[in-house]
Amino acid sequence: MKVVVSFFAFFLLFGLSSCIEIIDDLSFNEDGSGTFKYNINLSSSKVKINSILALDSLDGKKIPSIEEISNKIEQVVESFKTKQGISNASIESNFNDFIFKIQCDFTSLEDLQNAIRSIVREESENRFIPELEHNWLSYSELKFVRSVPIITTKKLSEIKSEDRELLKQGTYTSITRFFAPIDTFSNSNGNLSKSLKAIMIRSDLHALIQDPNLLDNSINLVNSN
Amino acid sequence: MKFSIFAISVFTTFFALSQKSENLIPRAATSVFSINNVSLLQKISLDDLVQYEFMEEVQAELFDGSTTGKTLKDSGIDFNQKLNVFYGITENYEVAGLTFGVVNKDNLFDVFDDFSSAYSDYDNVEFYESYFSRIAIEENSGVLFRVTPNNSAVDQITDSIWYARGNDYPWYIETYEEVYEIKDPDLIEEGVEEIEFFDEMETIENTSTPSETEILPVAEEDLNVKTYYELRDSVETALSVQYLSMVCDEIFIDGYNLVNSSPEFAEQLTHTSEGTFFMDNSKGLKNNRDFTFLQTIYPTLYTNIEKLYTGNVLLGDLVINDNSVEMQLNAKYGEELGSIYEKLGDAKFDKNVLKYIHKDNSAYFTYRVNLREAYEQAYDVIVPLLSEEENPGISAQLLFIELMDEFVNKDAVFDTYKGSMFGTFNGIQKVKTKKIIYDYDEETFEYIELEEESEEDMPIFTVGFSTDRSDIPNRILQRVSRLTEECHNDGDYWVIDRGVLNSAPLYILMKNDLFILTNDENLVKNHAEGYGTNALAKKDAKAAKKSGIIYGYADLGLAIESLPRELFSDSENEMIDVVRGKSGKVALTSTNTSDSSTSFNLTYDFDAQGDSDKYILDLINSMYVISK
Repeated sequence: MKVVVSFFAFFLLFGLSSCIEIIDDLSFNEDGSGTFKYNINLSSSKVKINSILALDSLDGKKIPSIEEISNKIEQVVESFKTKQGISNASIESNFNDFIFKIQCDFTSLEDLQNAIRSIVREESENRFIPELEHNWLSYSELKFVRSVPIITTKKLSEIKSEDRELLKQGTYTSITRFFAPIDTFSNSNGNLSKSLKAIMIRSDLHALIQDPNLLDNSINLVNSN
Repeated sequence: MKFSIFAISVFTTFFALSQKSENLIPRAATSVFSINNVSLLQKISLDDLVQYEFMEEVQAELFDGSTTGKTLKDSGIDFNQKLNVFYGITENYEVAGLTFGVVNKDNLFDVFDDFSSAYSDYDNVEFYESYFSRIAIEENSGVLFRVTPNNSAVDQITDSIWYARGNDYPWYIETYEEVYEIKDPDLIEEGVEEIEFFDEMETIENTSTPSETEILPVAEEDLNVKTYYELRDSVETALSVQYLSMVCDEIFIDGYNLVNSSPEFAEQLTHTSEGTFFMDNSKGLKNNRDFTFLQTIYPTLYTNIEKLYTGNVLLGDLVINDNSVEMQLNAKYGEELGSIYEKLGDAKFDKNVLKYIHKDNSAYFTYRVNLREAYEQAYDVIVPLLSEEENPGISAQLLFIELMDEFVNKDAVFDTYKGSMFGTFNGIQKVKTKKIIYDYDEETFEYIELEEESEEDMPIFTVGFSTDRSDIPNRILQRVSRLTEECHNDGDYWVIDRGVLNSAPLYILMKNDLFILTNDENLVKNHAEGYGTNALAKKDAKAAKKSGIIYGYADLGLAIESLPRELFSDSENEMIDVVRGKSGKVALTSTNTSDSSTSFNLTYDFDAQGDSDKYILDLINSMYVISK
């Protein structure tokens, strides 16, 4: 049966377009704590993903089973829960539509960034990754600065050139929510919510590879005191 | 085996029929490719040949980098003799190699420059050896071969000696305990450097360049005492020498070889096609280690199965024309097995399948068998074999088989699934799927998930089975539809919503005594009775009807064009690109199955303007890359 499925899956790979949607959603409280959500939506590529999962290997690399992927995700979340300043870490995995939602609360931006760094290092067998030294979130005196982590854009840029065209259909959405209204922001592509307390920037993944600073934003909050 | 196939395919265009290189093929050989005409490869320089990925392996195996500026013509090989690549397996050893004619020994050993002259026990036979292989030359023919003892035999003898010497269990791994101890947190605190377990594993990195922390096997303190691995090496070497002598004695003293021990092979050698192929399945079965188990536990059954497979031989011819390559295969079998195959092939062609094959399908097949007749015959042949075995386990299984035969409604089973079927590839089409999108609240940018219709490209397949009882699958589907909403009846056909890889609908159509599974919405909605005038052309339909149990057709040009690039590495894609854009059609036909043989014919017609010889090599290379 596996052979039949693999045979079918082999042909299913024909000219299939790849599409991924990432939502990077950060809610920031006055005391520096907050909630971080990271959603990966592959539902518009599920034919391709299902066909790949039905194969034993692709491009010489072993394809993990859904169970193996699920176990790995659980392992990472369990590790995430143990990081300093991180609480309520959870993941919702939907293997029917291939949507994965990671969420956690953090006590400070520093703790959140350290936890992410620590997880990436663990998964990279403690190899030194210079991109991780970079701070992609900071807050001081009502000024919030955020960018896309360099490690993300670096990984995206490693995608083969022929596949990068397909990334034009993929989107990266960065949402930041605040405890106070937003006064000014630097990124001209930013959209302010009607409540004035949230800002959203969207880009296609291909453009993001071309310009990793596309989603950078310096946001000044209204001083309510 | 793959190496052998491609070595042959490459050399196929080289050698002309001649004398006696085949007389050096050991009688233990179970498969042989013989090449009669190697003219094509003579024209191409070895430097160019080794550019092919498949040839790199041949190059490493045979020529070892000593080919600069040479062609095979310069290799000292006699092109008037056949080139035979062989492989064989016995209960004790495997033997593999090739035989060839020798016209100039000096040139030959310029190419095989790793070989040096060795002592010979045999009159008029010269021996040369390298680290892995040997070459024996008798008169104007040579054999390059390697004899390898079976690992299980080597392990068994080594263990025996090891324990007899009073040693403990040999699979003790010193490094494992070290790793285990070092993982102890107390030791880590004392500053002992942690050793990653991965360092002990064989990886590309640490195999070629051992890491500093990698712990290599240590020799015994007393150099006169062998470690387990040293002992195993010694046993393997001793057995190799013993089996090598056996093989050589048979050929050079007793005069036994495959030609004089297999009439089928001898007859095959008389063919004048560019290449011939011989595979003795009965010998392969007998020496298969899984059957050694059967021999020990169920000796009577083993003997009976051995008899059943006697005479099971696959013979083939490869014919190369200007713009086509033809593979003619003849499967021969013994009387009892043949009686089952004959009944299997005794089926009427179901003309209804032709209605559902579109004239523009780039690939399709039809398959006609009579499962009911084959079952009855197999029952009559196999049950007596099982009855003779006294083992209680076999008796219990036999009882189960006999009761099933009595109690099960065989008419219903075989009228539902008669055995005949067809399949088509209908190209790439858009199919409906569903995706999740996000709807944002403009006030807060909070978002909710919404399901939306989507379309994705998908290859369209249809598979259909002949049936006289479509009421049975219909009844099953009616019950399943009560269990899940994913399965529902849409009038003339059934739909399983996410039946294709959990993403797209699978349609089930029961019309014209066919049970059809497809993801082709157009077929079930608009052509439920068949494609009518757009069905397969009369000429093609006639070819399918005329063929035996199987008929297949594929437009290889289209198929290769459609191969997903993602499945291959960059270098592999470069190789496949060579044949992309060229057109070629493959047709597979078979003759009627008799009680002694079935013949198959695979023809590849291609349109290679210009250098067709090179195109054949390109094609072989592509097949190799794809099959890797």
